[in-house]
Amino acid sequence: MNLRPLVVEDAAVTFRWRQSARARHLNRGAATPAAQERWIATRPSDDFCFVIELKTGEPAGMISLIDVDTWHRRAEAGHFLIGEEETARGIPAAVEALKLLYELAFDRLKLARVYGTIASENVAMHRWQLYMGMKEEGRLRRHYFIGGHFQDAICMGLLEEEYRRTTLPRMLALLSAGRSTAVRGQ
Amino acid sequence: MPITQESALRIVYQALTNLNEERDGQAQVPLAPETALFGKSSLLDSLALVSVIVDIETALSDELGVPICLTGEDALNREESPFADVRSLCAFILQLTGGRS
Repeated sequence: MNLRPLVVEDAAVTFRWRQSARARHLNRGAATPAAQERWIATRPSDDFCFVIELKTGEPAGMISLIDVDTWHRRAEAGHFLIGEEETARGIPAAVEALKLLYELAFDRLKLARVYGTIASENVAMHRWQLYMGMKEEGRLRRHYFIGGHFQDAICMGLLEEEYRRTTLPRMLALLSAGRSTAVRGQ
Repeated sequence: MPITQESALRIVYQALTNLNEERDGQAQVPLAPETALFGKSSLLDSLALVSVIVDIETALSDELGVPICLTGEDALNREESPFADVRSLCAFILQLTGGRS
């Protein structure tokens, strides 16, 4: 997998992803492709917004590192969505994308902490992030209005040492499992 | 009590059943030894696979009374993925827990 910067030409595909059932737990996105284009064009220069793509260049999803604060050495991970279900099926696309994002955060930007929020009904992502080493740090009650009703935001955080001790070994094991399965399936 | 092949299979099937409860009819994962868990023929993405792993680790830890990690060094060092299919995952569970087939 590669992470490449999100550009306005990605508006149509990312808009389609945001309209899909998989995005139902995310914040309300742009209402039209034109609004999505404006949203992409107005990202702050210190946000890192990426398209997740296969080595072939086929886009599979999106992920971002935003609100990067180099004084407090923290940033928020967000806009995480595997949009192309078929493309990502059976391969550890989400794991590899998140690993690349954490390498940017902890290795290149030397951050001490990555955080984010998850809608309380997004059970699969909450479970996934817990397994990937994030800790639950609190709840913002009725923080989101998603799917016609309020949901809490679960506040999650990952410290650099937790990333190296817990997250990275688990990611490597899952990536290794994915690779050896692919080799066997050839 | 050690994990047996039957109990390993029961635990894996229960994890897949839990996953199926969250999926629609067309996306149901078959409960069979040859069901692929990872790789191109699998119906699971990495979010679903992790959900299955969490359920299996929880069930194993409950049965054995000690924490069990399916993504530790043992998984990393294997030439073939323990998550290729249900059969290979059960074999890995038996190896990891010192169980019997």
